[in-house]
Amino acid sequence: MTVTTEPEALLSYLQKADGSATFSYAGYTVIGAVNGPIEVQRRDELPEEAAVDVIVRPAAGVGGTRERHLESLIQSTLRQIILVNNFPRTLIQVVLQVTVAPENDYANAKVAQANLNLPILPALLQTAVLSLLSAALPLRATLASTALAILPEHGDRRIISSPTGRQIEQSQSFHVFAFTSHDELILAESEGSFSMKEWDDALAAAQGTCYPPTTTGDTDVLMDDDKLVGSDLKHFTRSTMEQKTASDLYWK
Amino acid sequence: MATTQSPLTLSSATFAKLSPHPYLLANLQPPDASTPSSRTNGRQPRQARQPNINTSSLSHAHGSAVVRTGDTTVICGVRGETLLTTDIPNYRAPDVVNPTKSDAVAEADELRDYDLLVPNIELATGCAPNFLPGVPPTTLAQTLSTRLYSLLHSSGLVDVEDLRIYHDRPEKQVPRHGDKMEEVDADEEEEDTAEVKAYWVLYIDVLFVSFDGNPFDAAWAAVLAALRDTKLPPAVWDPDHEMVLCSRKAPSSLNIRGMPVACTAAVFTAKEKQQRKGEQGQYWILVDPDRFEESLCDEALTVVVDRTLGETKVLGISKSGGTTVGPQLMWKYVTVAEERWQEFKSAL
Repeated sequence: MTVTTEPEALLSYLQKADGSATFSYAGYTVIGAVNGPIEVQRRDELPEEAAVDVIVRPAAGVGGTRERHLESLIQSTLRQIILVNNFPRTLIQVVLQVTVAPENDYANAKVAQANLNLPILPALLQTAVLSLLSAALPLRATLASTALAILPEHGDRRIISSPTGRQIEQSQSFHVFAFTSHDELILAESEGSFSMKEWDDALAAAQGTCYPPTTTGDTDVLMDDDKLVGSDLKHFTRSTMEQKTASDLYWK
Repeated sequence: MATTQSPLTLSSATFAKLSPHPYLLANLQPPDASTPSSRTNGRQPRQARQPNINTSSLSHAHGSAVVRTGDTTVICGVRGETLLTTDIPNYRAPDVVNPTKSDAVAEADELRDYDLLVPNIELATGCAPNFLPGVPPTTLAQTLSTRLYSLLHSSGLVDVEDLRIYHDRPEKQVPRHGDKMEEVDADEEEEDTAEVKAYWVLYIDVLFVSFDGNPFDAAWAAVLAALRDTKLPPAVWDPDHEMVLCSRKAPSSLNIRGMPVACTAAVFTAKEKQQRKGEQGQYWILVDPDRFEESLCDEALTVVVDRTLGETKVLGISKSGGTTVGPQLMWKYVTVAEERWQEFKSAL
Protein backbone atom coordinates (compact mmCIF):
# COMPACT_ATOMS: atom_id res chain seq x y z
CA MET A 1 0.00 0.00 0.00
CA THR A 2 1.39 3.37 -0.93
CA VAL A 3 0.18 6.50 0.68
CA THR A 4 0.24 9.47 -1.64
CA THR A 5 1.47 12.38 0.36
CA GLU A 6 0.39 15.01 -2.13
CA PRO A 7 -3.23 15.45 -3.07
CA GLU A 8 -4.12 14.93 -6.70
CA ALA A 9 -7.26 15.93 -8.53
CA LEU A 10 -8.74 15.71 -11.97
CA LEU A 11 -11.72 17.87 -12.84
CA SER A 12 -14.68 17.65 -15.24
CA TYR A 13 -13.82 14.46 -17.03
CA LEU A 14 -17.15 12.65 -16.81
CA GLN A 15 -18.99 13.71 -19.97
CA LYS A 16 -22.59 13.31 -18.89
CA ALA A 17 -22.50 14.77 -15.38
CA ASP A 18 -22.78 18.52 -14.78
CA GLY A 19 -19.64 18.43 -12.74
CA SER A 20 -17.16 15.77 -11.76
CA ALA A 21 -13.86 15.33 -10.00
CA THR A 22 -11.47 12.63 -8.92
CA PHE A 23 -9.52 13.26 -5.82
CA SER A 24 -6.80 11.15 -4.27
CA TYR A 25 -5.13 11.83 -0.99
CA ALA A 26 -3.76 9.75 1.86
CA GLY A 27 -4.42 6.47 0.11
CA TYR A 28 -8.01 7.21 -0.82
CA THR A 29 -9.30 7.85 -4.31
CA VAL A 30 -12.85 9.06 -4.75
CA ILE A 31 -14.78 9.90 -7.91
CA GLY A 32 -17.44 12.53 -7.47
CA ALA A 33 -20.23 13.54 -9.83
CA VAL A 34 -22.67 16.39 -9.35
CA ASN A 35 -25.91 16.94 -11.18
CA GLY A 36 -27.94 19.97 -10.44
CA PRO A 37 -30.08 21.87 -10.23
CA ILE A 38 -32.34 19.19 -11.65
CA GLU A 39 -35.95 18.23 -11.24
CA VAL A 40 -36.86 16.82 -7.88
CA GLN A 41 -39.28 14.12 -6.90
CA ARG A 42 -42.46 15.54 -5.40
CA ARG A 43 -41.77 13.71 -2.16
CA ASP A 44 -38.37 15.39 -1.62
CA GLU A 45 -39.28 18.82 -2.94
CA LEU A 46 -38.61 21.76 -0.64
CA PRO A 47 -40.60 24.93 -1.34
CA GLU A 48 -37.88 27.43 -0.46
CA GLU A 49 -34.61 25.73 -1.18
CA ALA A 50 -32.88 23.06 -3.20
CA ALA A 51 -32.81 19.56 -1.82
CA VAL A 52 -29.28 18.18 -1.55
CA ASP A 53 -28.94 14.47 -2.07
CA VAL A 54 -25.66 12.70 -1.33
CA ILE A 55 -24.96 9.12 -2.32
CA VAL A 56 -21.81 7.39 -1.11
CA ARG A 57 -20.75 4.15 -2.75
CA PRO A 58 -18.02 2.10 -1.09
CA ALA A 59 -14.99 0.61 -2.85
CA ALA A 60 -16.35 -2.91 -2.44
CA GLY A 61 -19.85 -4.20 -1.90
CA VAL A 62 -22.98 -2.13 -1.58
CA GLY A 63 -23.55 0.71 0.82
CA GLY A 64 -24.60 -0.12 4.33
CA THR A 65 -25.28 1.69 7.56
CA ARG A 66 -21.83 3.26 7.58
CA GLU A 67 -22.46 4.88 4.20
CA ARG A 68 -25.80 6.23 5.44
CA HIS A 69 -23.99 7.85 8.34
CA LEU A 70 -21.39 9.41 6.03
CA GLU A 71 -24.11 10.57 3.66
CA SER A 72 -26.03 12.34 6.39
CA LEU A 73 -22.86 14.06 7.64
CA ILE A 74 -21.86 15.18 4.14
CA GLN A 75 -25.39 16.22 3.28
CA SER A 76 -25.77 18.50 6.27
CA THR A 77 -22.34 20.02 5.58
CA LEU A 78 -22.84 20.62 1.86
CA ARG A 79 -26.27 22.09 2.46
CA GLN A 80 -24.54 24.83 4.42
CA ILE A 81 -22.08 25.81 1.71
CA ILE A 82 -24.28 25.53 -1.39
CA LEU A 83 -26.54 28.53 -1.88
CA VAL A 84 -29.62 26.35 -1.70
CA ASN A 85 -31.98 29.30 -1.45
CA ASN A 86 -31.08 30.26 -5.01
CA PHE A 87 -32.68 27.10 -6.40
CA PRO A 88 -36.01 26.48 -4.74
CA ARG A 89 -37.85 23.27 -5.64
CA THR A 90 -34.88 21.63 -7.32
CA LEU A 91 -32.46 18.87 -6.53
CA ILE A 92 -28.68 18.89 -6.35
CA GLN A 93 -27.38 15.39 -6.46
CA VAL A 94 -23.87 14.46 -5.37
CA VAL A 95 -22.64 10.94 -6.03
CA LEU A 96 -19.37 9.87 -4.46
CA GLN A 97 -17.83 6.59 -5.53
CA VAL A 98 -14.85 5.37 -3.56
CA THR A 99 -12.46 3.57 -5.89
CA VAL A 100 -9.38 3.05 -3.76
CA ALA A 101 -9.30 2.73 0.00
CA PRO A 102 -6.08 1.87 1.83
CA GLU A 103 -5.89 -1.63 3.18
CA ASN A 104 -4.76 -2.29 6.66
CA ASP A 105 -2.37 -5.22 6.43
CA TYR A 106 -2.53 -5.85 10.14
CA ALA A 107 -6.27 -6.27 10.48
CA ASN A 108 -8.48 -9.05 9.21
CA ALA A 109 -9.83 -7.82 5.92
CA LYS A 110 -13.59 -7.67 5.92
CA VAL A 111 -15.63 -6.41 3.03
CA ALA A 112 -18.38 -4.94 5.13
CA GLN A 113 -16.42 -2.85 7.58
CA ALA A 114 -18.86 -1.07 9.76
CA ASN A 115 -16.10 0.39 11.88
CA LEU A 116 -13.61 2.98 10.70
CA ASN A 117 -16.16 5.15 8.99
CA LEU A 118 -14.53 8.47 9.78
CA PRO A 119 -11.08 8.23 8.09
CA ILE A 120 -12.63 8.40 4.65
CA LEU A 121 -14.68 11.51 5.44
CA PRO A 122 -12.05 14.15 4.45
CA ALA A 123 -11.52 12.58 1.03
CA LEU A 124 -15.28 12.44 0.43
CA LEU A 125 -15.81 16.05 1.46
CA GLN A 126 -12.91 17.29 -0.61
CA THR A 127 -14.15 15.41 -3.67
CA ALA A 128 -17.66 16.74 -3.17
CA VAL A 129 -16.40 20.34 -3.07
CA LEU A 130 -14.27 19.91 -6.19
CA SER A 131 -17.21 18.35 -8.02
CA LEU A 132 -19.49 21.19 -6.95
CA LEU A 133 -16.93 23.70 -8.20
CA SER A 134 -16.66 21.79 -11.44
CA ALA A 135 -20.45 21.89 -11.79
CA ALA A 136 -20.22 25.67 -11.34
CA LEU A 137 -22.83 25.69 -8.59
CA PRO A 138 -22.85 28.89 -6.56
CA LEU A 139 -21.27 28.24 -3.19
CA ARG A 140 -21.13 30.34 -0.05
CA ALA A 141 -17.66 29.03 0.68
CA THR A 142 -15.44 26.13 -0.20
CA LEU A 143 -14.19 23.82 2.47
CA ALA A 144 -11.16 21.82 3.37
CA SER A 145 -11.10 18.83 5.60
CA THR A 146 -8.44 16.75 7.28
CA ALA A 147 -8.03 13.79 9.59
CA LEU A 148 -5.71 13.57 12.57
CA ALA A 149 -4.74 10.94 15.07
CA ILE A 150 -3.19 11.45 18.48
CA LEU A 151 -0.70 8.70 19.19
CA PRO A 152 0.84 7.96 22.56
CA GLU A 153 4.63 8.12 22.35
CA HIS A 154 7.04 7.60 25.23
CA GLY A 155 4.58 9.00 27.71
CA ASP A 156 3.98 11.96 25.48
CA ARG A 157 1.54 12.55 22.61
CA ARG A 158 2.15 13.05 18.95
CA ILE A 159 -0.35 14.43 16.47
CA ILE A 160 -0.24 12.78 13.07
CA SER A 161 -2.07 14.28 10.16
CA SER A 162 -3.68 11.94 7.59
CA PRO A 163 -2.81 8.81 9.57
CA THR A 164 -2.65 5.33 8.08
CA GLY A 165 -5.03 2.59 9.15
CA ARG A 166 -2.42 1.13 11.44
CA GLN A 167 -1.80 4.45 13.13
CA ILE A 168 -5.52 4.97 13.66
CA GLU A 169 -5.71 1.57 15.31
CA GLN A 170 -2.92 2.45 17.74
CA SER A 171 -4.11 5.97 18.35
CA GLN A 172 -5.73 7.23 21.51
CA SER A 173 -8.12 9.43 19.65
CA PHE A 174 -9.01 10.19 16.07
CA HIS A 175 -10.35 13.50 14.77
CA VAL A 176 -11.83 14.80 11.55
CA PHE A 177 -12.24 18.53 11.05
CA ALA A 178 -13.62 20.56 8.17
CA PHE A 179 -13.29 24.31 7.80
CA THR A 180 -14.97 26.67 5.38
CA SER A 181 -12.85 29.09 3.40
CA HIS A 182 -13.94 31.80 5.87
CA ASP A 183 -12.04 29.78 8.47
CA GLU A 184 -15.12 28.61 10.35
CA LEU A 185 -15.33 25.16 11.85
CA ILE A 186 -18.15 23.43 9.98
CA LEU A 187 -17.64 19.81 10.93
CA ALA A 188 -15.89 18.14 13.84
CA GLU A 189 -15.99 14.43 14.50
CA SER A 190 -13.81 12.92 17.18
CA GLU A 191 -13.64 9.54 18.79
CA GLY A 192 -11.39 7.79 21.23
CA SER A 193 -10.42 9.18 24.59
CA PHE A 194 -9.02 12.67 24.89
CA SER A 195 -9.11 15.88 26.88
CA MET A 196 -10.33 19.22 25.61
CA LYS A 197 -6.73 20.45 25.62
CA GLU A 198 -5.79 17.69 23.18
CA TRP A 199 -8.82 18.50 21.09
CA ASP A 200 -7.67 22.10 20.87
CA ASP A 201 -4.19 21.02 19.82
CA ALA A 202 -5.65 18.75 17.16
CA LEU A 203 -7.89 21.58 15.97
CA ALA A 204 -4.93 23.92 15.65
CA ALA A 205 -2.96 21.29 13.74
CA ALA A 206 -5.93 20.70 11.43
CA GLN A 207 -6.26 24.40 10.84
CA GLY A 208 -2.61 24.49 9.83
CA THR A 209 -3.16 21.75 7.28
CA CYS A 210 -6.32 23.23 5.83
CA TYR A 211 -5.82 26.96 6.09
CA PRO A 212 -2.49 28.10 7.42
CA PRO A 213 -2.65 31.71 8.57
CA THR A 214 -1.40 33.76 5.63
CA THR A 215 0.03 37.21 5.98
CA THR A 216 -0.82 38.17 2.43
CA GLY A 217 -4.50 37.32 2.66
CA ASP A 218 -6.36 35.04 0.29
CA THR A 219 -6.68 37.58 -2.50
CA ASP A 220 -3.09 36.89 -3.39
CA VAL A 221 -3.68 34.82 -6.49
CA LEU A 222 -0.18 34.87 -7.85
CA MET A 223 1.35 32.87 -5.07
CA ASP A 224 3.73 30.10 -5.90
CA ASP A 225 1.21 27.29 -5.94
CA ASP A 226 3.63 24.44 -6.48
CA LYS A 227 5.37 25.19 -3.26
CA LEU A 228 2.19 25.07 -1.26
CA VAL A 229 0.54 22.04 -2.78
CA GLY A 230 0.43 19.17 -0.34
CA SER A 231 0.78 21.26 2.74
CA ASP A 232 -2.27 23.41 2.30
CA LEU A 233 -5.60 22.15 1.05
CA LYS A 234 -7.09 25.56 0.47
CA HIS A 235 -4.43 26.45 -2.04
CA PHE A 236 -4.67 23.02 -3.53
CA THR A 237 -8.38 23.54 -4.32
CA ARG A 238 -7.62 26.98 -5.64
CA SER A 239 -4.71 26.00 -7.85
CA THR A 240 -6.59 22.99 -9.22
CA MET A 241 -9.43 25.24 -10.27
CA GLU A 242 -7.03 27.80 -11.73
CA GLN A 243 -5.23 25.20 -13.80
CA LYS A 244 -8.51 23.82 -15.09
CA THR A 245 -9.81 27.26 -16.01
CA ALA A 246 -6.54 28.17 -17.68
CA SER A 247 -6.53 25.02 -19.81
CA ASP A 248 -10.23 25.43 -20.71
CA LEU A 249 -9.68 29.01 -21.88
CA TYR A 250 -6.48 28.21 -23.74
CA TRP A 251 -8.12 28.61 -27.18
CA LYS A 252 -8.87 32.24 -26.43
CA MET B 1 -50.41 33.77 22.77
CA ALA B 2 -54.01 34.50 21.93
CA THR B 3 -56.40 34.09 24.81
CA THR B 4 -59.55 35.23 23.09
CA GLN B 5 -60.58 33.35 20.00
CA SER B 6 -61.39 36.09 17.55
CA PRO B 7 -61.39 35.00 13.92
CA LEU B 8 -58.36 37.17 13.16
CA THR B 9 -55.99 35.79 15.83
CA LEU B 10 -54.41 32.39 15.88
CA SER B 11 -54.11 30.03 18.77
CA SER B 12 -50.52 29.22 19.61
CA ALA B 13 -50.91 25.63 18.37
CA THR B 14 -52.01 26.91 14.97
CA PHE B 15 -49.19 29.44 14.93
CA ALA B 16 -46.72 26.63 15.65
CA LYS B 17 -48.06 24.53 12.79
CA LEU B 18 -48.28 27.36 10.25
CA SER B 19 -44.92 29.00 10.81
CA PRO B 20 -42.81 26.97 13.22
CA HIS B 21 -39.63 29.00 12.95
CA PRO B 22 -41.12 32.39 13.92
CA TYR B 23 -43.09 30.63 16.65
CA LEU B 24 -39.97 29.27 18.37
CA LEU B 25 -38.21 32.58 17.81
CA ALA B 26 -41.10 34.47 19.39
CA ASN B 27 -40.90 32.22 22.43
CA LEU B 28 -37.15 32.64 22.81
CA GLN B 29 -37.28 36.34 22.09
CA PRO B 30 -40.61 37.58 23.45
CA PRO B 31 -41.78 40.90 21.99
CA ASP B 32 -42.51 42.42 25.42
CA ALA B 33 -39.99 42.21 28.20
CA SER B 34 -42.54 41.07 30.79
CA THR B 35 -42.82 37.53 29.42
CA PRO B 36 -39.79 35.43 30.27
CA SER B 37 -37.85 33.92 27.40
CA SER B 38 -38.13 30.16 27.16
CA ARG B 39 -38.43 27.37 24.64
CA THR B 40 -41.79 26.21 23.35
CA ASN B 41 -41.68 23.29 25.76
CA GLY B 42 -41.24 25.65 28.69
CA ARG B 43 -37.61 24.78 29.31
CA GLN B 44 -34.67 27.14 29.41
CA PRO B 45 -32.16 26.80 26.54
CA ARG B 46 -29.63 25.01 28.75
CA GLN B 47 -32.20 22.90 30.56
CA ALA B 48 -32.33 19.21 29.70
CA ARG B 49 -35.11 16.78 30.43
CA GLN B 50 -34.70 14.73 33.58
CA PRO B 51 -33.81 11.12 32.74
CA ASN B 52 -35.70 8.22 34.28
CA ILE B 53 -34.07 4.82 34.13
CA ASN B 54 -35.56 1.45 34.96
CA THR B 55 -33.52 -1.72 34.57
CA SER B 56 -34.30 -5.45 34.31
CA SER B 57 -37.75 -4.92 32.92
CA LEU B 58 -37.50 -7.60 30.22
CA SER B 59 -37.54 -11.11 31.63
CA HIS B 60 -36.09 -12.96 28.65
CA ALA B 61 -33.14 -10.70 27.95
CA HIS B 62 -29.86 -11.03 29.82
CA GLY B 63 -30.00 -7.35 30.56
CA SER B 64 -32.45 -4.58 29.78
CA ALA B 65 -33.25 -1.00 30.53
CA VAL B 66 -35.97 1.52 29.85
CA VAL B 67 -34.84 5.11 29.61
CA ARG B 68 -37.25 7.97 29.54
CA THR B 69 -36.36 11.60 29.03
CA GLY B 70 -39.49 13.64 28.63
CA ASP B 71 -41.51 12.08 25.83
CA THR B 72 -38.61 10.12 24.39
CA THR B 73 -38.78 6.58 25.67
CA VAL B 74 -36.30 3.93 24.67
CA ILE B 75 -36.15 0.30 25.61
CA CYS B 76 -32.95 -1.67 25.22
CA GLY B 77 -32.47 -5.40 25.59
CA VAL B 78 -29.15 -7.23 25.63
CA ARG B 79 -29.13 -10.88 24.74
CA GLY B 80 -26.02 -13.04 24.73
CA GLU B 81 -25.53 -15.88 22.30
CA THR B 82 -22.54 -18.17 22.11
CA LEU B 83 -20.31 -18.22 19.07
CA LEU B 84 -17.84 -21.09 18.65
CA THR B 85 -14.38 -20.07 17.53
CA THR B 86 -14.50 -22.88 14.95
CA ASP B 87 -17.35 -21.00 13.29
CA ILE B 88 -15.34 -17.78 12.92
CA PRO B 89 -13.60 -17.43 9.57
CA ASN B 90 -9.94 -16.30 9.81
CA TYR B 91 -9.93 -16.87 13.53
CA ARG B 92 -6.67 -16.06 15.26
CA ALA B 93 -6.39 -17.28 18.81
CA PRO B 94 -5.67 -14.40 21.18
CA ASP B 95 -2.48 -14.72 23.15
CA VAL B 96 -4.13 -15.15 26.52
CA VAL B 97 -1.01 -16.09 28.44
CA ASN B 98 1.45 -13.42 27.30
CA PRO B 99 -0.40 -10.58 25.65
CA THR B 100 2.24 -8.85 23.54
CA LYS B 101 0.26 -6.01 22.09
CA SER B 102 -1.05 -3.36 24.40
CA ASP B 103 -4.16 -4.74 26.03
CA ALA B 104 -6.66 -2.16 24.90
CA VAL B 105 -5.73 -2.43 21.23
CA ALA B 106 -5.84 -6.23 21.20
CA GLU B 107 -9.20 -6.28 22.94
CA ALA B 108 -10.72 -3.76 20.62
CA ASP B 109 -9.49 -5.89 17.72
CA GLU B 110 -11.18 -8.96 19.11
CA LEU B 111 -14.49 -7.22 19.71
CA ARG B 112 -14.42 -5.67 16.27
CA ASP B 113 -13.06 -8.53 14.20
CA TYR B 114 -15.51 -11.11 15.46
CA ASP B 115 -18.42 -8.67 15.76
CA LEU B 116 -19.06 -9.51 19.37
CA LEU B 117 -21.25 -6.45 19.91
CA VAL B 118 -24.21 -6.10 17.58
CA PRO B 119 -26.25 -2.97 18.22
CA ASN B 120 -29.43 -2.36 16.30
CA ILE B 121 -31.95 0.46 16.43
CA GLU B 122 -35.59 0.13 15.58
CA LEU B 123 -37.45 3.34 14.88
CA ALA B 124 -40.32 1.94 12.83
CA THR B 125 -42.49 1.18 15.82
CA GLY B 126 -44.99 3.94 15.33
CA CYS B 127 -43.09 6.03 17.86
CA ALA B 128 -43.54 9.28 15.91
CA PRO B 129 -45.72 10.29 12.96
CA ASN B 130 -42.74 10.64 10.60
CA PHE B 131 -41.65 7.03 11.02
CA LEU B 132 -44.07 4.65 9.41
CA PRO B 133 -44.27 1.25 11.05
CA GLY B 134 -43.14 -1.77 9.07
CA VAL B 135 -40.82 -0.05 6.61
CA PRO B 136 -37.09 -0.67 6.04
CA PRO B 137 -34.77 1.19 8.44
CA THR B 138 -34.69 4.89 7.75
CA THR B 139 -31.50 6.88 7.28
CA LEU B 140 -31.83 8.13 10.85
CA ALA B 141 -32.05 4.60 12.23
CA GLN B 142 -29.01 3.53 10.26
CA THR B 143 -27.04 6.61 11.26
CA LEU B 144 -27.90 6.06 14.90
CA SER B 145 -26.88 2.42 14.90
CA THR B 146 -23.57 3.30 13.22
CA ARG B 147 -22.92 5.94 15.85
CA LEU B 148 -23.81 3.55 18.66
CA TYR B 149 -21.55 0.92 17.15
CA SER B 150 -18.56 3.24 16.90
CA LEU B 151 -19.07 4.66 20.37
CA LEU B 152 -19.39 1.16 21.86
CA HIS B 153 -16.04 0.26 20.38
CA SER B 154 -14.16 3.52 20.76
CA SER B 155 -15.17 3.92 24.41
CA GLY B 156 -13.98 0.41 25.27
CA LEU B 157 -17.03 -0.08 27.45
CA VAL B 158 -17.11 -3.87 27.36
CA ASP B 159 -14.20 -5.98 28.52
CA VAL B 160 -13.60 -8.79 26.03
CA GLU B 161 -12.45 -10.99 28.93
CA ASP B 162 -16.08 -11.22 30.07
CA LEU B 163 -17.14 -12.53 26.69
CA ARG B 164 -14.49 -15.24 26.32
CA ILE B 165 -15.52 -18.79 27.10
CA TYR B 166 -12.49 -20.87 28.06
CA HIS B 167 -11.69 -24.50 28.00
CA ASP B 168 -9.85 -26.15 30.89
CA ARG B 169 -10.28 -23.44 33.38
CA PRO B 170 -11.86 -24.54 36.61
CA GLU B 171 -13.27 -21.21 37.68
CA LYS B 172 -13.75 -18.01 35.86
CA GLN B 173 -12.01 -15.05 37.41
CA VAL B 174 -14.49 -12.29 36.98
CA PRO B 175 -12.59 -9.03 37.38
CA ARG B 176 -9.21 -8.71 35.79
CA HIS B 177 -7.56 -5.51 36.91
CA GLY B 178 -4.03 -4.40 36.37
CA ASP B 179 -2.76 -5.26 39.82
CA LYS B 180 -4.22 -8.75 39.79
CA MET B 181 -2.90 -9.64 36.39
CA GLU B 182 0.34 -11.25 37.55
CA GLU B 183 -1.53 -13.73 39.71
CA VAL B 184 -3.96 -14.64 36.97
CA ASP B 185 -1.21 -15.12 34.45
CA ALA B 186 0.76 -17.26 36.87
CA ASP B 187 -2.27 -19.48 37.45
CA GLU B 188 -2.77 -19.95 33.79
CA GLU B 189 0.78 -21.01 33.22
CA GLU B 190 0.56 -23.62 35.90
CA GLU B 191 -2.55 -25.29 34.59
CA ASP B 192 -1.30 -25.75 31.06
CA THR B 193 -2.92 -23.33 28.62
CA ALA B 194 -6.41 -22.01 28.81
CA GLU B 195 -7.87 -21.90 25.35
CA VAL B 196 -10.66 -19.67 24.11
CA LYS B 197 -13.26 -22.01 22.68
CA ALA B 198 -16.19 -19.70 22.22
CA TYR B 199 -17.37 -16.14 22.70
CA TRP B 200 -20.50 -14.50 23.91
CA VAL B 201 -21.98 -12.28 21.24
CA LEU B 202 -24.10 -9.50 22.69
CA TYR B 203 -27.09 -8.54 20.62
CA ILE B 204 -28.04 -5.06 21.75
CA ASP B 205 -31.48 -4.14 20.47
CA VAL B 206 -32.78 -0.63 20.97
CA LEU B 207 -36.45 0.05 20.43
CA PHE B 208 -38.00 3.48 20.44
CA VAL B 209 -41.32 3.37 22.24
CA SER B 210 -41.96 7.04 21.73
CA PHE B 211 -39.82 9.57 19.95
CA ASP B 212 -39.63 13.22 20.88
CA GLY B 213 -36.22 14.34 19.75
CA ASN B 214 -32.70 13.65 20.91
CA PRO B 215 -32.63 9.96 19.98
CA PHE B 216 -28.90 9.42 20.41
CA ASP B 217 -28.61 10.45 24.07
CA ALA B 218 -31.55 8.32 25.09
CA ALA B 219 -30.43 5.33 23.03
CA TRP B 220 -26.90 5.50 24.40
CA ALA B 221 -28.13 5.82 27.98
CA ALA B 222 -30.35 2.79 27.41
CA VAL B 223 -27.46 0.77 25.99
CA LEU B 224 -25.23 1.76 28.91
CA ALA B 225 -27.87 0.95 31.52
CA ALA B 226 -28.73 -2.36 29.86
CA LEU B 227 -25.08 -3.41 29.65
CA ARG B 228 -24.57 -2.55 33.31
CA ASP B 229 -27.59 -4.69 34.06
CA THR B 230 -26.46 -7.62 31.91
CA LYS B 231 -25.74 -10.87 33.71
CA LEU B 232 -24.37 -13.73 31.67
CA PRO B 233 -24.67 -17.30 32.94
CA PRO B 234 -21.38 -19.07 33.63
CA ALA B 235 -20.43 -21.01 30.51
CA VAL B 236 -17.90 -23.79 30.09
CA TRP B 237 -16.70 -25.68 27.10
CA ASP B 238 -17.58 -29.34 27.37
CA PRO B 239 -15.02 -31.35 25.38
CA ASP B 240 -17.12 -34.53 25.42
CA HIS B 241 -20.16 -32.97 23.82
CA GLU B 242 -18.03 -30.42 21.94
CA MET B 243 -20.37 -27.66 22.86
CA VAL B 244 -20.75 -24.81 25.32
CA LEU B 245 -22.70 -25.60 28.45
CA CYS B 246 -24.27 -22.89 30.56
CA SER B 247 -25.53 -23.24 34.06
CA ARG B 248 -28.41 -21.38 35.57
CA LYS B 249 -26.85 -20.58 38.90
CA ALA B 250 -24.82 -17.51 39.78
CA PRO B 251 -24.83 -15.45 36.61
CA SER B 252 -22.05 -12.90 36.62
CA SER B 253 -22.43 -9.32 35.54
CA LEU B 254 -20.23 -7.66 32.96
CA ASN B 255 -17.31 -5.52 33.92
CA ILE B 256 -18.30 -2.19 32.37
CA ARG B 257 -15.52 0.37 32.14
CA GLY B 258 -16.55 3.87 33.03
CA MET B 259 -19.83 5.60 32.44
CA PRO B 260 -19.85 7.70 29.27
CA VAL B 261 -22.85 9.97 28.87
CA ALA B 262 -23.85 11.62 25.61
CA CYS B 263 -25.19 15.16 25.60
CA THR B 264 -26.73 16.58 22.44
CA ALA B 265 -27.74 20.12 21.62
CA ALA B 266 -29.17 21.82 18.58
CA VAL B 267 -28.31 25.31 17.44
CA PHE B 268 -31.25 27.54 16.63
CA THR B 269 -30.48 30.62 14.57
CA ALA B 270 -32.68 33.68 14.48
CA LYS B 271 -32.47 33.89 10.72
CA GLU B 272 -34.29 31.18 8.88
CA LYS B 273 -32.36 31.46 5.66
CA GLN B 274 -28.66 31.03 5.08
CA GLN B 275 -26.41 33.70 6.40
CA ARG B 276 -24.07 35.70 4.26
CA LYS B 277 -20.36 35.78 4.76
CA GLY B 278 -19.20 37.10 8.08
CA GLU B 279 -22.75 37.66 9.27
CA GLN B 280 -23.30 36.18 12.70
CA GLY B 281 -26.90 36.48 13.75
CA GLN B 282 -28.40 35.68 17.09
CA TYR B 283 -28.45 32.05 18.07
CA TRP B 284 -29.51 29.81 20.94
CA ILE B 285 -28.02 26.52 21.98
CA LEU B 286 -30.90 24.26 22.87
CA VAL B 287 -29.73 21.38 25.03
CA ASP B 288 -31.69 18.14 24.67
CA PRO B 289 -33.92 19.31 21.80
CA ASP B 290 -37.35 17.86 21.23
CA ARG B 291 -38.75 16.81 17.88
CA PHE B 292 -40.20 20.23 17.08
CA GLU B 293 -36.91 21.98 17.81
CA GLU B 294 -34.86 19.40 15.92
CA SER B 295 -36.91 20.01 12.80
CA LEU B 296 -35.97 23.72 12.93
CA CYS B 297 -32.28 23.43 13.64
CA ASP B 298 -29.58 22.65 11.11
CA GLU B 299 -26.61 22.40 13.37
CA ALA B 300 -26.32 19.76 16.02
CA LEU B 301 -23.54 18.83 18.37
CA THR B 302 -23.00 15.84 20.61
CA VAL B 303 -20.34 15.50 23.25
CA VAL B 304 -19.72 12.25 25.11
CA VAL B 305 -18.05 12.70 28.47
CA ASP B 306 -17.02 10.44 31.29
CA ARG B 307 -16.14 11.70 34.75
CA THR B 308 -15.88 8.42 36.64
CA LEU B 309 -12.18 9.02 37.26
CA GLY B 310 -12.78 12.50 38.63
CA GLU B 311 -11.47 14.57 35.78
CA THR B 312 -13.48 14.93 32.60
CA LYS B 313 -12.58 12.58 29.80
CA VAL B 314 -14.09 13.34 26.42
CA LEU B 315 -14.93 10.20 24.47
CA GLY B 316 -16.45 11.72 21.41
CA ILE B 317 -17.36 14.99 19.78
CA SER B 318 -19.65 15.20 16.83
CA LYS B 319 -20.70 18.46 15.31
CA SER B 320 -22.07 19.06 11.86
CA GLY B 321 -24.45 21.14 9.83
CA GLY B 322 -23.37 24.66 10.61
CA THR B 323 -20.65 27.09 11.52
CA THR B 324 -22.01 28.65 14.70
CA VAL B 325 -20.19 26.42 17.15
CA GLY B 326 -16.50 27.22 17.22
CA PRO B 327 -13.79 26.10 19.62
CA GLN B 328 -14.79 28.54 22.39
CA LEU B 329 -18.40 27.41 22.38
CA MET B 330 -17.26 23.82 22.39
CA TRP B 331 -15.27 24.42 25.56
CA LYS B 332 -18.29 26.00 27.19
CA TYR B 333 -20.51 23.20 26.03
CA VAL B 334 -18.35 20.58 27.72
CA THR B 335 -19.33 22.06 31.09
CA VAL B 336 -22.99 21.60 30.12
CA ALA B 337 -22.19 17.99 29.25
CA GLU B 338 -20.54 17.58 32.64
CA GLU B 339 -23.75 18.67 34.35
CA ARG B 340 -25.68 16.25 32.20
CA TRP B 341 -23.30 13.50 33.25
CA GLN B 342 -24.13 14.21 36.88
CA GLU B 343 -27.87 13.96 36.12
CA PHE B 344 -27.45 10.59 34.47
CA LYS B 345 -25.18 9.34 37.22
CA SER B 346 -27.83 10.00 39.83
CA ALA B 347 -30.48 8.39 37.61
CA LEU B 348 -28.51 5.20 37.00
